[in-house]
Amino acid sequence: MQNTLLTSARTSVGKLGTGLALLLVLLMLFGATETYAQSVRAPGNAVNLDDGIEDGPSNALGDDSQSDFWRNFRGGDPNDIKQMLEARPEGAVLTTTGQHWRELRENYIRKYAGWFPLGVIALLLLYHLIKGKMRIKGGFSGKTLPRFNINQRVSHWFMASVFTILGVTGLIILLGRPLIAPYLGKEVNSVLTSASMQGHNLFGPLFIVALVWMFIKFVRGNFFQWVDLKWIFKLGGFFGGHVSSSQFNFGEKSWFWLVILVGIVMSGTGILLLFPWLVDDLRWLQLSTILHAGGAILLISVLFGHIYVGTAGMEGSIDSMLKGEVDENWAKEHHDLWYEEVTGKSATEEEGTS
Amino acid sequence: MTFLQFVEGPLFYVAAAIFVVGVVYRLIGILRLGGERDLARPNGSATGGAILTVLRHFVPRRTFWRGSSFHFVAGYAFHLGLFVLLLLAAPHVAFLQERVLGFGWPVLPHWAFILTAEVAFAGLIMLWVRRFVDPVQKLISTSGDYAATILTFLVMLTGCLALQESHVALRATHMVFVDIWLIYFPFSRLIHTFTFFFSRAQTGATYGRRGAKL
Amino acid sequence: MTVQKAIDKFVEKTGAKVASYLDACVRCGLCAQACQYHEATGDPRHAPVMKFQPLQQAYQASKDPLSPLWRMIGRAPKKVTEEELSDWQDLIYDSCSMCGRCTLACPMGIDIASLVWVMREGMSEVGLVPPEITKMAHAARDTGSPIGVTAKKLRKILDDVEKKYDVKMHLDKPHAEVLLLDSSLDYEAYQPTLAAMAKILDRLGIDWSFSSKGYEASNLGLFSGEESIARTMVERITEAAEDMGAKTVLAPECGHGYGSIRWEAPNLLGRELPFEVLHIVEFLARMHKEGRLKLKPESRALTYHDPCKLGRRGGVFEEPREMMRDLVTDYREMKPGGVTNWCCGGGGGVVVIESARKLQLESFKIKMDQVEKTGAEGVVMSCAFCHMTFDKSSEHFKWDKKIEDMVQMVERQMID
Ligand code: HEM
Ligand code: SF4
Ligand code: SF4
Repeated sequence: MQNTLLTSARTSVGKLGTGLALLLVLLMLFGATETYAQSVRAPGNAVNLDDGIEDGPSNALGDDSQSDFWRNFRGGDPNDIKQMLEARPEGAVLTTTGQHWRELRENYIRKYAGWFPLGVIALLLLYHLIKGKMRIKGGFSGKTLPRFNINQRVSHWFMASVFTILGVTGLIILLGRPLIAPYLGKEVNSVLTSASMQGHNLFGPLFIVALVWMFIKFVRGNFFQWVDLKWIFKLGGFFGGHVSSSQFNFGEKSWFWLVILVGIVMSGTGILLLFPWLVDDLRWLQLSTILHAGGAILLISVLFGHIYVGTAGMEGSIDSMLKGEVDENWAKEHHDLWYEEVTGKSATEEEGTS
Repeated sequence: MTFLQFVEGPLFYVAAAIFVVGVVYRLIGILRLGGERDLARPNGSATGGAILTVLRHFVPRRTFWRGSSFHFVAGYAFHLGLFVLLLLAAPHVAFLQERVLGFGWPVLPHWAFILTAEVAFAGLIMLWVRRFVDPVQKLISTSGDYAATILTFLVMLTGCLALQESHVALRATHMVFVDIWLIYFPFSRLIHTFTFFFSRAQTGATYGRRGAKL
Repeated sequence: MTVQKAIDKFVEKTGAKVASYLDACVRCGLCAQACQYHEATGDPRHAPVMKFQPLQQAYQASKDPLSPLWRMIGRAPKKVTEEELSDWQDLIYDSCSMCGRCTLACPMGIDIASLVWVMREGMSEVGLVPPEITKMAHAARDTGSPIGVTAKKLRKILDDVEKKYDVKMHLDKPHAEVLLLDSSLDYEAYQPTLAAMAKILDRLGIDWSFSSKGYEASNLGLFSGEESIARTMVERITEAAEDMGAKTVLAPECGHGYGSIRWEAPNLLGRELPFEVLHIVEFLARMHKEGRLKLKPESRALTYHDPCKLGRRGGVFEEPREMMRDLVTDYREMKPGGVTNWCCGGGGGVVVIESARKLQLESFKIKMDQVEKTGAEGVVMSCAFCHMTFDKSSEHFKWDKKIEDMVQMVERQMID
């Protein structure tokens, strides 16, 4: 081969990446050690409780009765953020919607969210153990067809990189308290959550860029067609049988629209959470956190399926996103209509041997 | 001495020294390989050619604009972003003032910092991704190319993860990667920060002398 | 064959310039779009950056300022093997015309063609030069010309041309002011060009002559990578010019021949030369500017092809254009033109290499397309090698564009 000069060097990339990632994790966990856990610096806008307010004002109740006091406490518009943020006297201090929101978040989302992706992984494992890798019938032909151009590939992996960072940091923020704190300690959780929040906020806007880019590069060929109905009836061919499809099959199209539509929701809610002063009503923000978390869990769960089909699940798929070319036999089998369209040949007949 | 003090203090000074000495050693080493004086009668200015080529290659030529636009946009997004972050981020200026220089300069406001970081990250990720999906780049890239990208990415990432500036562990993490990066720099492809100048100037001088404006 | 000899050559030829280039490459792949062979095939192997990988490896193993360190920690790169070098043969010879176009696309400004030259020097040490080129280079060394035009044969050719074209061919005139060179391609194949040159010089009243000591402008040593042959070739010319006491040496319409005597010779010989070297077109443009050469424009639409060795690597861009604007009423510039003009794909010896034929033809499509787009009826050039590439390729593609020599046009259209 021509590139013998370069191959030997290339193999160590994986090792190197793993090494550095490991180092990163180790250093983060380092926050667990006694000295570092305690060496937390207060953020600039923190209120110092030592500044003499611990006793509270001497005449807190004033002339009010006990029930008047609580009424005032909840008075004003309980959902007006500005009243709260600016600590106006007429503003509410306590809200009941907030309590409902918190219960939903603590008792349902935080408790059950993690099970969805895990469940998907379990199902995929099960499927893989039973059915195994979907091989190309007749093996690789050695002839390839161009499938994705360089811009499509770059936009895909750009999205994948940004999404991965957001996914990991987001999951730590959401599930750190139930999953990290009890086992590795609150200190570690605090460090990781602080880091994750900064990372998540920073990369969030890049997701919007990636989403728009990906939409533009992939929407062609992703509109639903009649053949997709057959694909649904045949369960995508994952349980046997041949399915016809054009450039993208129903599964891919659904994934595309899921990413785009849920992505829009994630972007919108994310912007609200980053810039809360954009809305007046606190309930928008509460709704946003719920939708943001739900959308994330949905996308992450389906993503595992996507990664599975793209790599271990189906022989020859990953080439389309790495090299931009797919094997002709792969195309005939999985995207016969597309194959016929681009080559002008029939996907079922054998090519003449003469 | 705490770990943070160690990575911000002794280790940082050692890393910075290796960086400076290594870069100087390597650059002088390259120049010392020498070369022969061009004996042909000149038809133009070597110095002028060198200056022209060094400057002109900052922007792709018209014909190559289409084929270079990706690298141009992503490349500048990353490099300019990185330099701005490096020199104008408040914590960096404070660090340099405290530890090395003794004086500081105006810094970016927080929102501008975030925006710059986003631009730089977008550029770096695009450049990295392109490496394994572009057939030519995939063929010619070596572990050193990936290592430089990954390491730089981690330096930037850990820096941004520490943005809340409230956890010593995060700050120490960032410093560890900074130190590794500084030590790695002179021995790696990152040296192109300096050699780009040599390379362009050599070409510019050689052909400027012949009267060709490259 | 001992691969060590090639490696030694690589190392020997690596000075500050080569090292700067090797240490500046960021593997961005931007050079690929500039190379006609990459664009013609889409094969990533044909990316210019691929060509210097063995050189890079040899450098890192022994001449890199860091190599002692790599050796110390046991991370020195592996030695380039014999197999790898022969794998590289087609990249170094068949698919590089050393046109220098890639340098313009490279953000680091790396002169990849000069690295290919170093590669060729190493390859020639171990016998990896394509046989066609070796044969011609050795013939040039032994007989004075790559296709066997000996001094004796030259005399006969010049006699024939004298009779056939009714022109005086001066040979070995003592104390001529101008020593004229030509390439064997013209001596044998393009004699009208040879005659036209002589006619123009006579009509301008120039005191010129050929010399049987040094008459061959082409320099196959610069293709094969054999520096000693390259030196022999320019030595002959230099001695001839010095014997004659010529003030000026005129290089013919031969791009690399011009580069050889104009830019390489002083460095190959290690001394400054006591005469001026001009390409024939440079010379004509000078006469034209001084008002000694007047032209009658023809009403035709023509474009001009920049030979790489004359333009990008020689700095001669304006002169031919000045001439063109007075030779035709409708001069059309190619796009891209001038310094970014596409190579014809035959230079650097490629056009004579049998195994490169398909690739060369494929790459010529780019050139044809470029010429077509100008809408001109033909294309003018000032390099016999380009001319041969154009001739061979247009014959293959049955291409109907006129292919013209600038010297012949000048001769037809000059007014006394
Ligand atoms: C990190 C692991 C990932 C792998 C291995 C992977 C693999 C693939 C592959 C092989 C394809 C091409 C399928 C075909 O040939 O039709 C593809 C397409 C696609 N991927 Fe991914 N992907 C990953 C992550 C992501 C992420 C994080 C997203 C978005 C959030 C994403 C969104 C898409 C979309 C929208 C398509 C186009 C499918 C269509 O348009 O129908 N991928 N991926
Ligand atoms: S010098 Fe010309 S032919 Fe050789 S690699 Fe560069 S562009 Fe291609
Ligand atoms: S364009 Fe220049 S720097 Fe980029 S890969 Fe090619 S030679 Fe290297």
